[in-house]
Amino acid sequence: MASILPGAPQEGIGYSFSQAAPNAASEPRQHSFYPYSDNGGTSLGISGTDFTIMAADTRNVSGYSINTRYSPRLYLIGGEGPENKGARIVLSVVGFTADGSALKERLDNIVKMYKYHHGKPMSVSACAQRLSHLLYSKRFFPFYVSAILGGLDEEGKGALYSYDYVGSYEREQCRSAGAASSLIMPFLDNQVNFKNQYQPGSGTGHNLQAVVAEPLPRERVTQLVRDAFTSAVERHIEVGDGLQMMIITKDGVQEKYVELKKD
Amino acid sequence: MGSPFSMNGGACVAMVGKDCVGIACDLRLGMQALTVSNNFPKIFGINDSVYLGLTGLATDVATVSDLFRFKVNMYRLREERNISPDTFANLVSTSLYERRFGPYFVSPVVAGINQTSGKPFICGFDSIGCIDFAKDFIVSGTASDQLFGMCEGLYEPDLGPDELFETLSQALLSAVDRDALSGWGAHVYIIEKDKVTKRLLKGRQD
Amino acid sequence: MNHFPETWGRPRDDVYGPYNHGYLQAPAPNQHTQSPIVTGTSVVAIKFKDGVVIATDNLASYGSLARFTDVKRLRKFNERTVIGFGGDISDMQHLDRLLNSLSIKENYQHDATDEEDTDGFSADNVHTYLSKVMYARRTKFDPLWNHMLVAGLDSDDEPFLASVDLLGTTFSSPSLATGYGAHLAQPIMRKVVPDEDAVDQVTEEQAVKVIKECMKVLFYRDARSLDNYSIAVIKKEGVNLKLDEKLENQSWQFAERIRGYGTQVN
Repeated sequence: MASILPGAPQEGIGYSFSQAAPNAASEPRQHSFYPYSDNGGTSLGISGTDFTIMAADTRNVSGYSINTRYSPRLYLIGGEGPENKGARIVLSVVGFTADGSALKERLDNIVKMYKYHHGKPMSVSACAQRLSHLLYSKRFFPFYVSAILGGLDEEGKGALYSYDYVGSYEREQCRSAGAASSLIMPFLDNQVNFKNQYQPGSGTGHNLQAVVAEPLPRERVTQLVRDAFTSAVERHIEVGDGLQMMIITKDGVQEKYVELKKD
Repeated sequence: MGSPFSMNGGACVAMVGKDCVGIACDLRLGMQALTVSNNFPKIFGINDSVYLGLTGLATDVATVSDLFRFKVNMYRLREERNISPDTFANLVSTSLYERRFGPYFVSPVVAGINQTSGKPFICGFDSIGCIDFAKDFIVSGTASDQLFGMCEGLYEPDLGPDELFETLSQALLSAVDRDALSGWGAHVYIIEKDKVTKRLLKGRQD
Repeated sequence: MNHFPETWGRPRDDVYGPYNHGYLQAPAPNQHTQSPIVTGTSVVAIKFKDGVVIATDNLASYGSLARFTDVKRLRKFNERTVIGFGGDISDMQHLDRLLNSLSIKENYQHDATDEEDTDGFSADNVHTYLSKVMYARRTKFDPLWNHMLVAGLDSDDEPFLASVDLLGTTFSSPSLATGYGAHLAQPIMRKVVPDEDAVDQVTEEQAVKVIKECMKVLFYRDARSLDNYSIAVIKKEGVNLKLDEKLENQSWQFAERIRGYGTQVN
């Protein structure tokens, strides 16, 4: 079509344009501006039978500079008003904090509007899928964040969802994300899901009986979270200063703060 | 092609216990993501109480291990005694620094017991010979991040030989399971003053 | 009617004459801010028990040239908010214009004589506004090349200090500094206010003293700085903004002991 169009109006009627409307974009623009930065930090979530623990350190860095020793990475989603009263969903975002808080605000708005429209709070599974859509909606200019969403499912069991930065997501028992995730994740495999652990004296080779992973009690999980972070602080410079924890149960969200090393 | 250090994959870790040391490595050899061997040990016996772990570029692992076998044999012939772990560590350091501007792409780990003092000894190096003397543990290889996390979480001082074996093995196995370039079984050496125990771990085969 | 839908509804040349393409040139590629031109250096600020102290020097540099030596980089927004700007000066003036129109709109909506009516924005509101502006512009790949500190009192009259940069990144801390100040001044200020609890122990005099000390250190070591500076103290009683201060008690004694630069070695 494009090849015959210019020839078409030759006889008789003349048209006010000489060729098809340009639909090719103008020349690619060059940008020296890089719209992302990495503000470090690590987050962690573990779900239990009737609770979910979310945790993240509070150090915010750019390069080797510490911007602040206390910038929260865990956000309450939904609930009432700017203080999110009565919220039962917690979002953690690590990576680029500007994108992180933009994402948090979008999700918070959506969850609050859901309650306004439907008269009931949004379920974690619905919120989790919506978050995936939010991330994918910026597939070609992504939010530079690793997100973890925690709450309780419709049966009251701990629910935990983890995301990549374009919205692939999965429900899991435990997940660490961010700068020191490579340090923490194998520790969690070993201590929460008992990977590579076998019943003593159960034999050798195929006779080995694996230790069966079952949801851990809250005190044990809290201690593991603190151990995971104190270990990460030792070996990763972007992790430290403080540890923010949120424990989601049917009674609400309990927030805890513990100091971490500041070096 | 990425960094020469991560072309073949591999992991190695050493730990100090009470009157004993442990050193362990995985068995994978790969070409980028393709596994070509599951029997490529990265720990080399220097003598009965000194062991050398080498991760990094496989060709350099082979070359450097042969080089040190030669150098240590020469030492034994001249001195008529075994090389101590501390002396061997300095030999590794100076040998690597000789190649300062064309290094071997390896990250060595030395573990052993000094037969004169009876003290456990471990240390690690960068590829040009800077020594990292550590009191607790040394990690190296493509799973080093994961090993740091595991060791920092599981390690405690003054473990006996059996506890040290368990700690070291759990640390290595869980670490390599989170690294695509390491795994496929492991070798674990527990070195005591007059005894060395070598164990083969199966581990995940994927 | 013909079979070329693209031509339907278009003015015909035989009726209207050929279209003069000169009227509508193909637009040139959008020129976006690629890098800052005239720039201001560090902004430093610290909280104390009743408010915040903030300071900048009065220099606008053109590369390494000290081009404008009397540019005020502190801007009072209202009786409880002051903003300090670092980075591009023209972008600062653009933001200044945005903030002016914002405060005019705000003053129309609120009756200043009414005691019950909260008098418009508190410092945290201004900070939120600026962070949205900055984040929206970076998302359009057309950033405002600034890093600023917002100092003042929040809606509960508690000291407020937070930062926004050209990417829309925001954070808050008992003491903050941009640019070189983050490396040179922050360690000095963090000795005074290591954490939020320490703020209650710091008096206005102490805070002003440490800020002046920081401005002096920055003048010594930051080549793009000046010894003329602006300083503002924001308290419940209002803003005390001094725009033409001069660094006092400079001592260049230390310079004699500096060795190892230039032609002189060891």
